[in-house]
Amino acid sequence: MLIVQQVSQYANTKPILQEVSFSAAPGRLTILLGANGAGKSTLLRLLAGESSTQKGDIRLDGKPIADYTPHQLALRRAMLTQHFTVSLPFTCEEIVTMGRYPHFGQQPTQADKAVINDCMEEMDVAGFKDRIYHTLSGGEQQRVQLARVLAQLHGQPQKGSRLLLLDEPTSGMDVFHQQLCLKKAKEKARAGAIVIAILHDLNLAAQFGDQLLLLHKGRLTAQGSPKNLLQPNRIRETYGIDVEIVYHTAYDFPIIVTRPPFYSPDTKTDVYATDNNFSERTMDKHTSGKPPQTDTGRSS
Amino acid sequence: MSTNKPARILLLILLPLTALLASGIGAMTISPAQTVAILLGKAGIHLPVNYTEGMANVLWQIRLPRVILAILVGAGLAVSGAAFQGLYRNPMADPALTGVSGGASLFAVLVILSIAGWPGISHHAMLQNYLISIATFIGAGLTTLVVLRLARTGGRTPVATLLLAGLAVNALCNACTGLMTYTATNEQLRSIVFWMLGSLGAASWSVLAVVTPLVLIPVLLLPTLGKSLNVYSLGESEAHYLGVNVARLKIQLLLLSALAVGACVAVTVIIGFVGLIVPHLLRSTNGTDHRRLLIDSALLGAIILTLSDVISRTIIAPAELPIGIITAILGTPLFIGLLLKQKKQLSSLSF
Repeated sequence: MLIVQQVSQYANTKPILQEVSFSAAPGRLTILLGANGAGKSTLLRLLAGESSTQKGDIRLDGKPIADYTPHQLALRRAMLTQHFTVSLPFTCEEIVTMGRYPHFGQQPTQADKAVINDCMEEMDVAGFKDRIYHTLSGGEQQRVQLARVLAQLHGQPQKGSRLLLLDEPTSGMDVFHQQLCLKKAKEKARAGAIVIAILHDLNLAAQFGDQLLLLHKGRLTAQGSPKNLLQPNRIRETYGIDVEIVYHTAYDFPIIVTRPPFYSPDTKTDVYATDNNFSERTMDKHTSGKPPQTDTGRSS
Repeated sequence: MSTNKPARILLLILLPLTALLASGIGAMTISPAQTVAILLGKAGIHLPVNYTEGMANVLWQIRLPRVILAILVGAGLAVSGAAFQGLYRNPMADPALTGVSGGASLFAVLVILSIAGWPGISHHAMLQNYLISIATFIGAGLTTLVVLRLARTGGRTPVATLLLAGLAVNALCNACTGLMTYTATNEQLRSIVFWMLGSLGAASWSVLAVVTPLVLIPVLLLPTLGKSLNVYSLGESEAHYLGVNVARLKIQLLLLSALAVGACVAVTVIIGFVGLIVPHLLRSTNGTDHRRLLIDSALLGAIILTLSDVISRTIIAPAELPIGIITAILGTPLFIGLLLKQKKQLSSLSF
C-alpha cells in the first residue's frame, strides 16, 4: 500500500504541489491526469523516493519512502521517466540488462537472462537486441526503456508490495504499442503491483484506469473511477477544452470526444470549410507578414 | 557479452609480449630469451642462455623500470580516461581536454616551488616524488570538481559547455603556472624545468615504488564500479532508481581518476590522447559495457604506451623524442578516422 499524506513541494517559494493526499492499492492501475505543469512528474519523482518531501509524508507499506536505501527501493520500485539521454553507445540488450542490475552481482544469472529475454519479447523489442540504442526511433526507444523497467520489477519481492511508476509511458508510441504498453501496466497491477502512470490521453485513461487522479495547479482536485471523474465541466476546468462524453453499448467505459475549436456542433461543419477561399486566404496570411524579397532572394 | 572473452585474452597475451619485446630494444639489444633468462636468474633459476653482466645491468637498472613505468602510466591514463568519460557521461571527455592535467601541473609546480628552499626535502628524491604526487592528485581532483560544476546545466553535462569550461580552467591553470615560473628564483626554476622535462626516462625502482600503488589502486578499484557507471550513463535519476548511491559513486569516480591522473602527471607531466583514444578504440570494437571497458582500457593503454615509448627512444637514437609527440602522431589520425566513421552516430548522441 502506498499512502501519500499532505504532501507539498515548492520551487523556491513557488508551490509545485499543495497538500496532495491519496492512497494507491496493490492490484490497481492508478492514472494521474493533469495539464502540462500541473506537478504530475514532480509528484511521481517524490513517489519514487528520488528526493525527500519538503512537507508531508509518503509511506510504502507503512514505512516512509525516505527510510529505504536506494538498493532496497530498486528491488521493489521501478520508474520510467521521460526524456532519456543515453550518452554512450549501448546496445538495447545492455540497456534492458541494466534493469536487472539490482538483482545480480557482477554477471547476470541464467534466470536474469531469461527475464531480460522475456521482457524484450513482451515489449516487442527482441529484434533490437544488438542495435545501438540511439539509432532507434523515439517510440522504439520508449519500448526498450519499458522493457528495462519491467525487467527490474520482474518476480515477487521477499516481502511487501512492488511499485511501478510510469511517466507518460506511451509517448512516441504508435496506437498498437500504446495499447500493448498499458496492457502490460494493467497486467503488472493485476499481478499484485501498485501501478501509477501519468497519461495525457483521456480515452486511454478511461479504458485502462482503475482509479484516476486529477491534478490541477499542484492540487489534487478529484479522484475516482473513470466514470465518476471524467465529467465535461471538470475537464474544461483542468484542460480548458470542451468535450462530449459518450457511451457505446459495447463498452463500460466513457468515450471522450474533444470538440475542435474550429468546429461548430450545431451545423456539424468545419467553420473554415464554409469559407470557399480558405486556402487562398491562409496563403495571403502566410506571406503578408514577410518582406517579399526573402522568398526569392535566398534560393538563387 | 559474448565478445568479452576473445578481446580480453588477446590483450592479456599482447601485454607481456610487448613488455618482453620493449625490454630488449635499445642501444644494447637483448633477445627475448636473454630477457627471460636474466629475470629468472634473479629469481635463482638459471636457463642455458648466454648473456653478459652488462646486459643484466641495463635490463635491471634501466629497461625494466622504464617498461613497467610505461605500463603503469598507460594503464592509469587509459582507465582514468574511460572513467572520466563515464563520469561526464560523454565519450569526448579526457584528462587533458577537461583541464584536469593542467590543474595537476599547477599544483605540482606549487609544491616544487615551496620545497625548493628546503634541502632536507629537495635532496630526498622519494619524499619529493610523494609530495608531488599528492599535490597532483589534489590538483586533478579540484579541477575535475570545478569543471564539472561549471559545465553542468540542468543535470546534464553537454560537450560544448564541458569543453569550454575545461578550456577556461586549463588556461587559468597554465597562466598561474607561467606566472609562478616567471617569479621563481633560479634555483626554483631549475627544479621546475627539471620536473617539466619529466618523461618515462625518469624511471627507476624508487620512482616505481611511489607510482605503483597510486596507479594500481584506481586500476584495480575502478572496474568494480563498472555496473554503476553503466547505469549512471542513463542519467543520475535513473541510476538512483536502479539502486545506485549517486553521490557516493561520483566521489569514488572523482577520487580514483584523480589519483591515477595525478600519479601519471607527477612522473611524466601529461601524455595526451591515451585517455581519449584507448577507450574510444575499445568502445567502437567491443562495446560500451564498463564492466569490460575499464579493465580492457587499462590493458590496451599499457600496450600502446609501451610501444610508443619504444618508438620515442629508438627513432632518433641516441636522442629521445618526447613520447607525447608519438602518442599525438599515432593518436590523431586514428581519432580522426574513428570520428569520420562514427560522425553520424556521434551526432545523434544527445550531448
